[in-house]
Amino acid sequence: MPEVVVRPFPLKSPLRVLSSLRLTVVCLGLGMLLIFLGTLAQVHLGIHAVQARYFQSLIIFWSPPGASWKIPVLPGGYLLGTVLLVNLIAAHAVRFQLTKKKIGIILLHFGVILLLIGQLLTGLFARETQMRIDEGQTAGYSEAPREVELAVIDKIDPNFDQVVAIPEAVLTRGGTIQNPTLPFTLKIRQFMSNTHLAMRSQVAQARPSLATTGFGPNIVVEEAPRTVKDDERDLSAAYVEVNGVQDSLGTWLVSNAIPDAQPFTINGRTYELVMRQRRFYKQFALTLLDFTHDQYAGTDIPKNFSSRVRLVDLERNENREVLISMNDPLRYRGFTFYQSGFDNNDKTTILQVVKNPAMLLPYIACGLVAAGLLAQFSMHLFGFVRKRAR
Amino acid sequence: MKSPFFLRPPFLAPATAAAALLLGAGCNRSDERITVYRIPKETPSMPPQAGPRSAAPAAVHWTAPAGWAEQPASDFRKGSYFVTDADGKKADVSVISFPEAAGGLLANVNRWRDQLKLPPITNVVEAGTPMEVAGRDLFFVELVSEAPLSPDGSKSRILGGIFPAGAETWFFKMIGPDALVASQREVFKQFLQSVHPAEGEAAAGSAHPTMSANSGGSDTNAPTPPPIEAAQGAPVQYTLPPGWQTKPLSPMRLASFKATAPNGKETDISVVALPGIAGGDLQNVNRWRGQVQLAPIDEETLAKSAEHVQANGHDFLLVDLVSEQPLKGEKQRILAAILDEKQQSWFIKMTGEDAAVASQKSAFTDFLRGLKIP
Repeated sequence: MPEVVVRPFPLKSPLRVLSSLRLTVVCLGLGMLLIFLGTLAQVHLGIHAVQARYFQSLIIFWSPPGASWKIPVLPGGYLLGTVLLVNLIAAHAVRFQLTKKKIGIILLHFGVILLLIGQLLTGLFARETQMRIDEGQTAGYSEAPREVELAVIDKIDPNFDQVVAIPEAVLTRGGTIQNPTLPFTLKIRQFMSNTHLAMRSQVAQARPSLATTGFGPNIVVEEAPRTVKDDERDLSAAYVEVNGVQDSLGTWLVSNAIPDAQPFTINGRTYELVMRQRRFYKQFALTLLDFTHDQYAGTDIPKNFSSRVRLVDLERNENREVLISMNDPLRYRGFTFYQSGFDNNDKTTILQVVKNPAMLLPYIACGLVAAGLLAQFSMHLFGFVRKRAR
Repeated sequence: MKSPFFLRPPFLAPATAAAALLLGAGCNRSDERITVYRIPKETPSMPPQAGPRSAAPAAVHWTAPAGWAEQPASDFRKGSYFVTDADGKKADVSVISFPEAAGGLLANVNRWRDQLKLPPITNVVEAGTPMEVAGRDLFFVELVSEAPLSPDGSKSRILGGIFPAGAETWFFKMIGPDALVASQREVFKQFLQSVHPAEGEAAAGSAHPTMSANSGGSDTNAPTPPPIEAAQGAPVQYTLPPGWQTKPLSPMRLASFKATAPNGKETDISVVALPGIAGGDLQNVNRWRGQVQLAPIDEETLAKSAEHVQANGHDFLLVDLVSEQPLKGEKQRILAAILDEKQQSWFIKMTGEDAAVASQKSAFTDFLRGLKIP
């Protein structure tokens, strides 16, 4: 007769729920539903918004068009993943014993746990950026294709520029920005994620601009919804007021659509304001020596692209030539440089720069799962063979 | 005694990791932090902004045929010509450039089709023919409207050339009355053959702030607004009839509204001012008649059929046009008023489904009465 263990733990029933197979099935079912709905939603939202809203979220909310309220409708990817993770761990804690016979199952499950954790880490910490280099040019930074920053550049040093880079997340919050290295504050009067810009001379009846100086007063800005298309880029814009100790120096319009830096002088020191794609500087630089691109004979279909680059890293005394091609990325200092595109009549290369601290986890996880399956099935097989031999 | 479940080894390590992760996720991420760093000076990629916008160095050169009258170039137009025939009818030739692919070939061909009220096409092969110019492909397009859109009551025709050159795409376009433009086909093709990218300046942009992201190639958002010569008018003042809502302005519109009719359908109201008589009343009325597929009328018929609305000392010519056939699935109506005053023509126009526009007619005349023309 099975022994009933009565534990003095009030946690027993929540633990039973957490470790139940039913919860696993429910989570997997919801996961399938989530993937299905997420795939459909890509039509209207685009892949990036869907990833953020469906998969990198705890709860998915729905609100009817035009309404200000919203209701939760489905658990998001992070919540499902976390519940599955907890479920798996709890199941092990409650049900499984660490015996030789179960080694396959345990390895397999540990692999799955690692896969879940790896995915969470990737979602949280991986970053994909782009590096564009023209032939003969050297680039020491990559850019985020979907995120802007406001750079305030101090040009006083003859050899160096000191840059204060304010990321989009801070601009979105608005308010006043203060930085100990700057003798002034910046007031974000308005930030717009996506806009249409037009020259004021082209628009007959436009609202007066918030901008008082720089190129801003000549430009009419209309806010637009964020683009959902993969091949489009948001043209963000902001009105930024620079305030000295006593008074305002004026309000500038900045936009990543207009790469011109706008100078202003305070206490005899000149600074520049520019909005640009968010930059990530590296401790090394790449120079594009040559970009080549072959086509299949008689067509315009690209057969291969490759970039011959020189990698220079003064810190590590590295100075070598590298060939980056479609299936042969450059891996260096935790970054992977993939050949992603080209432009400008084959004179510019576009490299996808991926940094993912959890890059190895899926490989290890799959290895563990494979080992677990192998162990489990071999044990069955050997047992079966032995039985027949008898 | 066994230790509690959460202290047993299979649980402990992953649970700690998961807890640490979840906590970490809530913490301040690098996305939120302002960073300060020093970098070696960069060579300026853009020249400092020029004062007044001078004529941009054109990255593409061409030779205009004899007989084309050159017009001053504007912000958008890199080249502008008039072609006039013996009767004084005019066709307009424009040369503009947009950064990158400017939305692509198909989108631009469809933009032109839209100007001629032609439905969009999906297969670019139908749109025109490639021709070789200066060792590159130039896409030649010829389009004729189905409805009479020209001021003289004839159909309109577009001859166009789309020419990718370096970082920009160049658009050459002739638009005007069907017969005139058709007669210019060979001349226009010769004009296209004269197009060639300038040595060493193929990638040069325009001198004014470039309306494109500095990188990202084809990732740039939508082309810049189409070239429209807007009238430089003083602001117009108006009283908004109940139920009307203002809409974002487009380059041509001085005011823009929408009104939702009791049947739930939306109508569009625009106020536009153009310099001069802008083709004259008859031509504009016939242009609108074309939009609802009505046959053009003559001066006499117009004088007989049009109403007049007196408001604030202004005399508006009011026309009410209903399509005979359902267009876009339902009958369309245009209610429009024209006012010629102070060297400007004012056009106040409401378009939409027949009954929806009809329900707004009194609001429309109220709006005219409340309109203060500067």
